[in-house]
Amino acid sequence: MIKLIGRIALPTYFWIFVAWLFLPLAVMAAMGFRDSNFVAFPIQSWTTDWYRSVLTDREMSASLWVSLQVALISTAMGLVIGTPMAFMVARFTGAIRALLIAVIVLPAFIPIVVASISLRMFIGNFGFSTGIMAVAFGHAVSSVPFVVVMLLTRLNSMSTNLTDAARDLGADDFIVFFRIVLPYLAPALFGAFMFCMLLSFEDFTRSFFLGSFDPTFPVLLFAKLRFGFDPGLAAISTLVLIVTIALGLYAERFSRRRKLGNQGQVTAIGDNGNG
Amino acid sequence: MTAFFIWARRFAAYRALTELLARSPGARLFATALLPVAWILLANLAPLVQMLVISFYESYPLAEGTSAELTLRHYMAFIERPLYLSAFARSFIFATIVTALTLVVMFPVAYYIAKGAPRQRRVRLLLLVISPFWISEIIRSFAWMLMLSNRGAVNSFLSFIGYSGPPLDLLYNNVSLTIGVLYLTSLYMLLPLYSALEKIDDNLLEAAADLGATAPRRFMRIILPLARDGIVTGCTLTFLLIVGLYAMPLLLGGPSNTLFATIIGQVFGRAGDSWPLGSAFSIILIVAALAYVGIFMTIVQKRPRRQG
Repeated sequence: MIKLIGRIALPTYFWIFVAWLFLPLAVMAAMGFRDSNFVAFPIQSWTTDWYRSVLTDREMSASLWVSLQVALISTAMGLVIGTPMAFMVARFTGAIRALLIAVIVLPAFIPIVVASISLRMFIGNFGFSTGIMAVAFGHAVSSVPFVVVMLLTRLNSMSTNLTDAARDLGADDFIVFFRIVLPYLAPALFGAFMFCMLLSFEDFTRSFFLGSFDPTFPVLLFAKLRFGFDPGLAAISTLVLIVTIALGLYAERFSRRRKLGNQGQVTAIGDNGNG
Repeated sequence: MTAFFIWARRFAAYRALTELLARSPGARLFATALLPVAWILLANLAPLVQMLVISFYESYPLAEGTSAELTLRHYMAFIERPLYLSAFARSFIFATIVTALTLVVMFPVAYYIAKGAPRQRRVRLLLLVISPFWISEIIRSFAWMLMLSNRGAVNSFLSFIGYSGPPLDLLYNNVSLTIGVLYLTSLYMLLPLYSALEKIDDNLLEAAADLGATAPRRFMRIILPLARDGIVTGCTLTFLLIVGLYAMPLLLGGPSNTLFATIIGQVFGRAGDSWPLGSAFSIILIVAALAYVGIFMTIVQKRPRRQG
């Protein structure tokens, strides 16, 4: 009886859960094909017009471009800050290390609304106004903790033999860093890069409070949804969804292939939210 | 690239720098720590400290040439106005319920991937479940709006199978918000649960079964205690995420059940002296949420393991 539950009930429950995850997305993709200005079911006549027209929609493509800029800038910031931060943490052990990590991951534990607003007030001190750079800064603040954690995992497995050998052979610290340490970190850096990009691209709350007149894609979508929706929004959302999932899966596959022998481990590429 | 650094050695400054770094560990630490420490101070700590300070100001931004007057007025406003207090209570109750719900829904999912499914399929199943979480909160809210609206997928399915009444009001209430939030938080619960469950040694379960422990007993005595860290982490992340939600309650929730984070966001949208008010509310939210989570952690982790 118990075995029966394990064999049948558990997998059934799992696949129902998967269906629950994907059904709304499938519905959204289908809605993008509806031949009408209104969202409703059932879909009686189908068209690809919505999918075609959103590709040339100025407002949408402008917001996607803003999102991409923000993602690139914030990812660059996150990596430039997060990499030395991981090195710094790796130098310490015990209580100091624990304290450092606590301060570093602090942004992940602050409610997002509060974090965004405190940053907005803070940048005002320096005469910075809201806009693309402010949004990128906000995203970088939230992604640095993840970069540090991801790099630390890799750094912990690095032995000092290689760097010691290079120093003995006359390499200075810069050569050691660029020729040995960075290549060793490359898989983790790539993982962190993709993670930051996805984190930034999907963020709404920080972009909403730190942005000004050029909205990122989620902010534009939010503004439109508050006044109703049409199949065009479903179409563009579906396209963004497909690209996002494809990139995420690619990043996962890439970083898993680089970590042979680590079967069954999935890197922490997850989701925004409290990041 | 090596050639570049060897070329750079022509310059005395570069040589002095590399020699200093090679000789003194302190200098090397300083060189790596400078930027990160500045970032921690400026990006992680200073904004919160400033927010704390502003929450005591009479008004902000300060007018030219005036100095700040300190007041507790904004904290008093929280206690005095039922609107704020009830939104705050609603936020915490809602977050607690949905966190518990997420745990109950996700535990079997995590258990199936970690223990039930064949080992070689685990990664693929995990990826399958994770992939929707790379998508924006807004897109996911939208997908549920399409499911639940008056002429949405669920209602049209109901009329397809023969239901003939007026369309059900599924959207813009607590149910739709709960479904949407569950959709958002399940990954935060899944990953910690999965990594805790995956570490449980199968031999333990087999040994317990050989010694006659029934399945419920194995669950209570082995699986649950060993998964405790995962449960605590998952619940903490989920709770903090829900308490900070801004957009999803606006899109999927009803007008009558505003949550506290949304109120904070709206306070900042207004002009005038609402910045100190919003700051005070923010501080209240942070302190209350972290205290709540802290109490939860102590209760769950201090509970002694019963013998026998």
